[in-house]
Amino acid sequence: MSIEVQKITKKFGTYTALDQVDLTFPSGELVALLGPSGSGKTTLLRIIAGLETPDTGRVLFAGEEATNRHVRERQVGFVFQHYALFRHMTVFENIAFGLTVRPRGERPTKARIRDRVMKLLGLIQLDNLADRYPAQLSGGQRQRVALARALATEPKVLLLDEPFGSLDAKVRQELRRWLRRMHNEIHVTSVFVTHDQEEALELADRVVVMNQAKVEQVGTPEEVYENPVNPFVFNFLGNVNLFHCRDQVAGEFWTNSAAAISASAGEKVGTVGYARPFDIQISRTADTNEDIAAIVLFIQGAGALPRIEMRRPDNGQIVQAELPRDRFRQLGLRIGERVFIRPTNVRVFEPNYRI
Amino acid sequence: MQNQSLSLDRFSVGAGAARNALTESAAVRWLLTGLALAFLALILVIPLVAVFTQALDKGLDAYWAAITEPDAMSAIRLTLLTAAISVPLNLVFGVAAAWAIAKSKFRGKSLLITLIDLPFSVSPVISGLIYVLIFGLQGWFGPWLAEHDIKIIFAIPGLVLATIFVTFPFVARELIPLMQAQGTEEEEAALVLGASGWQTFFRVTLPNVIWGILYGVILCNARAMGEFGAVSVVSGHIRGLTNTMPLHVEILYNEYNFAAAFAVASLLALLALFTLAAKTLLGKKVRQEAQTTTK
Repeated sequence: MSIEVQKITKKFGTYTALDQVDLTFPSGELVALLGPSGSGKTTLLRIIAGLETPDTGRVLFAGEEATNRHVRERQVGFVFQHYALFRHMTVFENIAFGLTVRPRGERPTKARIRDRVMKLLGLIQLDNLADRYPAQLSGGQRQRVALARALATEPKVLLLDEPFGSLDAKVRQELRRWLRRMHNEIHVTSVFVTHDQEEALELADRVVVMNQAKVEQVGTPEEVYENPVNPFVFNFLGNVNLFHCRDQVAGEFWTNSAAAISASAGEKVGTVGYARPFDIQISRTADTNEDIAAIVLFIQGAGALPRIEMRRPDNGQIVQAELPRDRFRQLGLRIGERVFIRPTNVRVFEPNYRI
Repeated sequence: MQNQSLSLDRFSVGAGAARNALTESAAVRWLLTGLALAFLALILVIPLVAVFTQALDKGLDAYWAAITEPDAMSAIRLTLLTAAISVPLNLVFGVAAAWAIAKSKFRGKSLLITLIDLPFSVSPVISGLIYVLIFGLQGWFGPWLAEHDIKIIFAIPGLVLATIFVTFPFVARELIPLMQAQGTEEEEAALVLGASGWQTFFRVTLPNVIWGILYGVILCNARAMGEFGAVSVVSGHIRGLTNTMPLHVEILYNEYNFAAAFAVASLLALLALFTLAAKTLLGKKVRQEAQTTTK
């Protein structure tokens, strides 16, 4: 089932959580709402679920008006950030809850409910823990029970609020993969909220980047990563270096653009160029006179891409670079050393839009 | 390996030092504990022992006679009746108020919280007097009530009203912080899963606070049975009719019938001991209830 929100505005007192938000979630897709805290992403999720009412605007489910539909009639599955498992019920009772509260006429038989719950327990690989209480489970197990509980009623839409937020890195990775696999199997329209760009890019079919109550960009993970529409998106999806440019050239993607970068401080600058750390080259000698001098401040050699932090002596700016392993080894940099850097890919946006 | 054991040693020494830093010397500890115990003995244990020794001063037969005497029996019955009416009413009210305050947002919420606390801040005598002023013969509704032959003051309804007023905050006060600590996520989860309001209340909210409710009821009951001031004002002290146990104790005492007075008082003391035990047991459960959040 597709979901559409139109011109949604929501205020809490004087604070605007959502400002005229328009979005469409196509049927069967896994969509990430990505943004920093306070960007309104959770509020949007709660409005779709019916846990919050928008001040203005409409919510459509499969093209039908659902703005005033009560939360229990929306047939959504919701996974809460802190799982919200019923603490006095066993895992089995938790998962069965949505089925046992149905009115007598629509309620499946006890045997049917049992079958359904056992099937879901198999899906989340917790068959042997049916009689445990939530307090006796680990975080990852609770999260999976919360998912099974949400899926038990066969919802048309699955909504997840920071589903992996409070888990440690290893479990998070595992659950991410598991969720992806599960979505490939059941193909229910799913929306999840996250502030972790890696999670959004890895998991989602489509990423919605939000900031300050507004949608900044919508697209596939590749689209938003390769073609960010503004510095916010560019910055939010990864580390970034800023360069003040001499020339007023906007909206172009420069390659080997060192010529446009001013090496001198205090010069009147118009445009700001942005470059990813892995698009910075480091060498011992200045190949052209456009190369920028920098002093190595800090070296972080562990990980796939060793990270080097430098300071430009001309304007005091910090530049971060990530080098391929063999290049890093070949250079053998030392802290305090003077090197030359050259950005190979610089992105420039409208001059009035800065981070 | 050696390095490791070395650092472990140092660690345990550090931990020992930290423990010492937070603890007073043995002498100080004994002195403080001794002081606290002496104080407790003086103001709690000795009076409690006195109640029972005085009650049994003239032997078990006299004790039994004092309790089974018709006026005493009637006082016990009346006390039980008053508690049996006011505790359930305050239970329903307390749960409803706590639920409204902890689980929803509305205007005038802080006013409601203040009002719930009112009986704690008003002298019980005033609480009783309020009802005399409203329902008494010289009160607002007095003449009308007299005309229709309805007796509230100096009758059982007055006792119940006064008791309800005085014991009104116990259940709500116990539940509000507990429910607030538990938050509303579980209720939201139940709603999303299709549960109705009642189903959510009876299957999610109520089971989560059941020990807290029991705790509140125990305290509420103890106060309802032991209340003196408010009840004294509205009762009129009619022997065998409007005398509750605390009032009966007072009357017996004023008549220099000490053994009988202490016999009835010992029943109240037993109630207090039972309450104390139940409170200790339940208190543990309530703390668990508040802590086993699924976070």
